[in-house]
Amino acid sequence: MRIETSVRAVASPAAPPLSRPKGLWALLVIVVAMAALPLIASTYTLTLMVPFFGFAIALLGFNLLFGYTGLLSFGHAMFLGVGAYATAVLTSKLGVRSFELVLLTAIAVSALIALPVGYLCVRYTRIFFGMLTLAFGMLFHSILFKFYGLTGGDQGMRVVRPLLFGMDSAGGKTAFLTGPFYYYALGLLAVLGFVMWRIVRSPFGLHLQAIRENAQKASYLGVQVSRTRLAAFVISAIYGAVGGAILAVSIGLADPEMVYWTQSGNLVFMAVLGGSGSFVGPVIGGLAFVLLHDSVMAATQYWRFVMGAILVLLVIFFPRGIAGIAGDVVARFRKGS
Amino acid sequence: MNITRRALMRGIGVAGLAAATPGIFAPAIAQAKPVRIGILAPRSGAMGTVGECGIRAVQWAAERMNKDGGIAGRPIELVIEEETSPKDTIERFRRLVLQEKVDCVQGLISTGVSLGVAPTAEEEQALLIMWDGTTQDGVKEAMPKSNYVFRSTDNECEAVMASLLAIKYFKGKIKRIAGINPDYSYGRNNWEAFQQILRRAGVEAEVVAEQWPKVGTMDLTSHVAALKAAKPDFIFSSMLFADLPVFMKQGSAAGLFEGVNIALPAAGWQINQLKKEFMPENVVFGHNTLYFALPTASPLQKAFVDDYMGRYKEAPHWEADRAYFALAAYKAGVEAANKATGRWPKLDEIIAAIPEQKVQSLGGPGQFRKDKIAEQTFYQGLSTNKNTYDFPTLSTVDSFTADQLQKPPGVDFWDWIKTSKLPV
Amino acid sequence: MTVFLDVLLGGVFHAAILFLVAAGLQLVFGVQKIVNLACGSFYALGAYFGITAVGFAAQLGLPSILVLPVLILAGLAIGLVGLPVERVLRTIYNRDESYQLLITFGFLLMFQDVFRFFWGATPRTLDNAYLVYGTAEFLGVQVPTYNLLVIAASIAIALGLGLFLQRTRMGRIIRATAENRNMTEAMGVDSNRIFAAVFTVGCMLGTVGGALVVPASASSLDMAVELVVEAFAVVVIGGLGSMRGALAGALIVGLIRAAAIMVLPEAEILSIYVVVIAVLILRPAGLFGRAVA
Repeated sequence: MRIETSVRAVASPAAPPLSRPKGLWALLVIVVAMAALPLIASTYTLTLMVPFFGFAIALLGFNLLFGYTGLLSFGHAMFLGVGAYATAVLTSKLGVRSFELVLLTAIAVSALIALPVGYLCVRYTRIFFGMLTLAFGMLFHSILFKFYGLTGGDQGMRVVRPLLFGMDSAGGKTAFLTGPFYYYALGLLAVLGFVMWRIVRSPFGLHLQAIRENAQKASYLGVQVSRTRLAAFVISAIYGAVGGAILAVSIGLADPEMVYWTQSGNLVFMAVLGGSGSFVGPVIGGLAFVLLHDSVMAATQYWRFVMGAILVLLVIFFPRGIAGIAGDVVARFRKGS
Repeated sequence: MNITRRALMRGIGVAGLAAATPGIFAPAIAQAKPVRIGILAPRSGAMGTVGECGIRAVQWAAERMNKDGGIAGRPIELVIEEETSPKDTIERFRRLVLQEKVDCVQGLISTGVSLGVAPTAEEEQALLIMWDGTTQDGVKEAMPKSNYVFRSTDNECEAVMASLLAIKYFKGKIKRIAGINPDYSYGRNNWEAFQQILRRAGVEAEVVAEQWPKVGTMDLTSHVAALKAAKPDFIFSSMLFADLPVFMKQGSAAGLFEGVNIALPAAGWQINQLKKEFMPENVVFGHNTLYFALPTASPLQKAFVDDYMGRYKEAPHWEADRAYFALAAYKAGVEAANKATGRWPKLDEIIAAIPEQKVQSLGGPGQFRKDKIAEQTFYQGLSTNKNTYDFPTLSTVDSFTADQLQKPPGVDFWDWIKTSKLPV
Repeated sequence: MTVFLDVLLGGVFHAAILFLVAAGLQLVFGVQKIVNLACGSFYALGAYFGITAVGFAAQLGLPSILVLPVLILAGLAIGLVGLPVERVLRTIYNRDESYQLLITFGFLLMFQDVFRFFWGATPRTLDNAYLVYGTAEFLGVQVPTYNLLVIAASIAIALGLGLFLQRTRMGRIIRATAENRNMTEAMGVDSNRIFAAVFTVGCMLGTVGGALVVPASASSLDMAVELVVEAFAVVVIGGLGSMRGALAGALIVGLIRAAAIMVLPEAEILSIYVVVIAVLILRPAGLFGRAVA
């Protein structure tokens, strides 16, 4: 507001460079690297990558809100939960094992929930939006917890291994996760990443960025601010639900812990770690977070302190995240040569 | 970081230098190679206190067993990871199995987490011996038949026993019952079991209040007020963690317990926080599988309790016994199979050998059934404040074996409660 | 009648504690525009430190009747931790508020392990302190005098804070800074000093709240993250940045919860969210908040 706006814009969450297709190339590099990873990495590392694909998809959606629209959701874990529970209900209660059907249902349900929730939330911006989404997230958490006849309460619901393209796979769960499902999830990441790339570069995506920079001006120019924001909210919810479905399969369980508000906090952590200012930043952040979390937990029992300290230092010194650092290095290199 | 190191290892392996990597050693050296035991227990959050007690006990057990030749001559090495949310704990479990290559994973306290990890253990074909975390629902569905998972005794055992003792000591005085139980499956099942057992014993009691505070609720004044307004003559509460001492403190301050009898099946978990100042006497007080001040305690228990109380200035509770039991059962199984085969046994030989091994655990004798469910000895009784501690002990100790409190293999818990021959 | 009074007292006691934490949250937001997720950690810090302080006081031989002043002093003293925390926050005042929210999330994570490192995983309690002042009985209700003292202390703090902000020079400067930082700076106010003072006071409200609750309750590792949610509910209902909102919100949350426990125990937690969402739909800025966006 007022004069501060200009000061704040300096480090506002994002100013993605639009002109160059750098983001798409970076995503392609990650996807190719991930596709080659099974050739060299240990089984354990591969099992860690599957949740990463889930997070990466959810983060692409999250960043449409955060980086591109300037809306910080602190309840986004709710939509991961929607996807996870949709997967659980379909596979274990209704006996629908086709993962494609599961994904379609997760998409439909998350859109249905995101419409009213988003309608209420997008009337707010800035911190109010964050608090409201947090409230909705926790409401969803306590519903999951309370109606345990329906949701299994604290024990959650079991997720049965789904069929991919109608095919069952032989072998144990690890073989499934590091084999067919690994590539399936990676494929989803590639496809949804490309779709998101098209979205942010479409007129709709430009509207979102116009809204982020100056909602009033955008509305003078004919952008329907609320409706556009709502659309972004729903899209990000859908991405969250798809990510949640992938997570649920890798965990084998949908449980209320997934939607606790601190999990939403972790999503924001990932986005900022990678750099919400670039298209591919949050994806990098998801990867970095998964690896960091794993190694810090193995190294010390006080891993919460270390992760918290990393977050604090990151916000202070590297607000543009890994992508920002990489961008600076590349820029300096170019200048030098 | 891991990727690069692992990648390097693989590269070396492919290059034909496999002999240089650990794992392929001469048999003689293999004998001295440590047995690696992965431990998954909570260290923070509400359950941190419980997990800590188990970790201390398993460290004590490993140290003691190592002095005595470890497991079949191989020293025990513990690899401790933290139990947190189901998702992260499953990842930690996979890390222990795939990365740390442990021989056996032990631990788990939260039911929700164990329901996620146990199927993973089955799918990874990794041996898992659980300390705790077995409730009725979910287990049926998620773990119908386990090949690799050894489960603890049912969580409901303590509620069954507390209900039986309530009838034993207070029959005729139970007319208006009230329940305040944690709002999750454990609390719900305990409360339901209590009511069903009363009914079976012919106690016609009216339920005057049911409260379901969320775990972690630190202000229970309103719950206390609601219970008081209902005028119960018997209160059943399976609350845990800090919630139970808070409830007892606030209830006592509001005069809730005057003329009311109480059963606290899970009280032993919080023994150190249940101070005499606010604890009424003659409460049915559950210690589950370890009562630290058992008059007839084994030398093993006495040695453990003395060490523990000396070092940590607090009393150990049943999680210590569960942790010890898990390690001792594994040791007994490995050593029996080792004797039978004359070499270090394979995983399926160990798994086959563990059931039916009589194990002397901290709290008393126990063993795993053929269906891989633990049977241990349970202790409860009426509490007294006449002792030298600042928390209650038991004036009368009742002890039941698990076969009296636990459904037999293959039977539904609720059917069993309706039809079993109750010991009291 | 007795039942009604019991519900009322239970609800107001809960509200008294919630108010202190929420007031800290509001003060900091009002002036610095930072939503402090670590408010729950300050609350837990106050609780843990309160226990240590009372133990220390007992060793010094102070009579147990002094437990209330000791706790308040302990809360104020440990609240000074706000100064270094503010020093770190200061580096990012001109950043987007999402970063400010996130940095406080980092503090929340760090504090969890700080508690475990210093006080261990076992919950701590303060036992003989709760009934030191006896129990009061009126109209058939038996209530620990301590609960009434906490309610009184909370009201006193609310009044003191109100007077301070409304009547003193410093209070006026703080309100002016909240209104328009650039203007007050132009008039020669050192806003860094104001921010440090405000954040520390906000932190103290949380630590004093935690210290006051501990004789009736316990300190445990999960209390920080649990409280944040409730404090947020208070703030959303009352309106972000408003002190009166904190008071009204705390009373509403406390009383609704108490009423739900009495009438419909299953709806204990859900009832709070229902109110939150109802307020947001009907009065988006909260009861006392200013219009947003």
